[in-house]
Amino acid sequence: MLKQGIKYCIAIVLVLFVLSQSVYFKKLSDVKAAANKVFNAPAYARNYLKTQLLPASKTSPDADQLIPMLSSNPGKAFKTYARGLAIGNIRYFMVQGKGQVTNVDENDVYVLTANKQTIKIAIEYVFGNALRDAPGIIDINDFANTMDLNNIAAAVDKIVRDEVLPPFRSQVKKGDNISFAGAFELNQEHINLASIEVIPVLLKIDK
Amino acid sequence: MDTILSKYRSHLVKFQPLIALVLLCIGISLMSDKFMTVDNGWNVMRQISVNICISVGMTLVVLTSGIDLSVGSVLALCGAITAGLLKFGIEVPSNNLFVGFTLLGAILAGLIAGSLLGLFNGWTVTKFKVPPFVATLAMLTIARGLTMLYTKGFPISNLGDSFAYIGTGWFLGIPVPVWVSAVVIVIAVIITQKTALGRYIYAIGGNESASKLSGINISKIKMIVYSIAGVLSAVGGIMVTSRLDSAQPNAGMSYELDAIAAVVIGGTSLSGGRGTIMGTVLGAIIIGVLNNGLVLLNVSPFWQQVVKGGVILLAVIIDRANAKND
Repeated sequence: MLKQGIKYCIAIVLVLFVLSQSVYFKKLSDVKAAANKVFNAPAYARNYLKTQLLPASKTSPDADQLIPMLSSNPGKAFKTYARGLAIGNIRYFMVQGKGQVTNVDENDVYVLTANKQTIKIAIEYVFGNALRDAPGIIDINDFANTMDLNNIAAAVDKIVRDEVLPPFRSQVKKGDNISFAGAFELNQEHINLASIEVIPVLLKIDK
Repeated sequence: MDTILSKYRSHLVKFQPLIALVLLCIGISLMSDKFMTVDNGWNVMRQISVNICISVGMTLVVLTSGIDLSVGSVLALCGAITAGLLKFGIEVPSNNLFVGFTLLGAILAGLIAGSLLGLFNGWTVTKFKVPPFVATLAMLTIARGLTMLYTKGFPISNLGDSFAYIGTGWFLGIPVPVWVSAVVIVIAVIITQKTALGRYIYAIGGNESASKLSGINISKIKMIVYSIAGVLSAVGGIMVTSRLDSAQPNAGMSYELDAIAAVVIGGTSLSGGRGTIMGTVLGAIIIGVLNNGLVLLNVSPFWQQVVKGGVILLAVIIDRANAKND
């Protein structure tokens, strides 16, 4: 009888212990208030651009180093410099460089670097996840849903469209020497270097 | 001479699935150099872990001469329950109460849900004498409907690193799902080979009337077996959800067919009473290797279905021939 009682006691203690490790209680109103806090993507994007993206662009590989490596040893280039949040073959690279503008059209400027690499830089259509994902700083698990993550990419691109491109686009002309930093995407299964279009985060005409 | 031939034949029958697996591996590796690689080996093992779990449960059910068609839907529902509780908890507006679930709590809830769904299957089969095929077919639809209701038709995603570890992590150089399926196999082998429950399962499948007359509580054993099958479907559901980091409302569709295929190919008799857990494990590996090989050989998905169906048919024909000779 005593033995059975001890058995039941141990079982109850075990069940209570497992329960205590399994559930927790909160006020529903507090949980809802926390959930209803709207994620401010533009503010997050501005802070991200200032404190993370721009510093990361300063330590990114030079175009004259990265593009030849992508051509000669893509495996090493992807392993060393590529980043990406999502499953799939699209990977993102940060890049910086200097060069002379050889052409300016409606959508892009073309820059010839010291190492004779021609880099295409977007100056009209700035979309996608390159600037968000290329530094590899943002962690998908820090966000409650993918919508917030998408909004960050859109907000960073908007800042570039509204604040980085207009002053540059109004002044740049063929023959200018410029400095640039940004990001681009490549499909690691079908590497096409001709498709590279840098989404800029920094564009400066050198005097 | 007859004794030697008979012994030789019995060994051949015993090792049929193993021989089939070895021949399959040799054949595919001759046709694809990507097959016999360590990475591909782990990939196959990780993929078949889910099928092993549900096939082991299916084996126990089939050994009692039953069948469980609901494993795929139960898998989806339990995965959704685990993911939903982990991410959203339970809200009790009338008491301004939120009940949150830790990883342990959510997993336990998923397993309990699987157990209850299996128990319900067992209850309808034993209490109302509904044929297992019909009872579990009904559960297949009920559980799928409940999954759609619970998830509102949308995936439940972003479940966190700790949860993702179950389906994608490595422990001591081996994928975690492989560990999970190994534990399931060991427990199932012990149950079938070393416990009274195991003997009762074989006895019921072999001759239900005789088992009843010998004092075995048929209803209780069947309910336990269906409940175990439910729990193992839940284990599979948790692994699938973890691997995808998302509970998909349509997860586990036609998984019951792969499970039945593994059981049959593994040599378990669909009329019950004969078969082993290790045979089913080999059956699941054969199905997994076959799937992997057909993909590596760039066989059209449509032809893959045809080949798989043919293999299952062949396995049943061989099983029938073996039973006749016995």
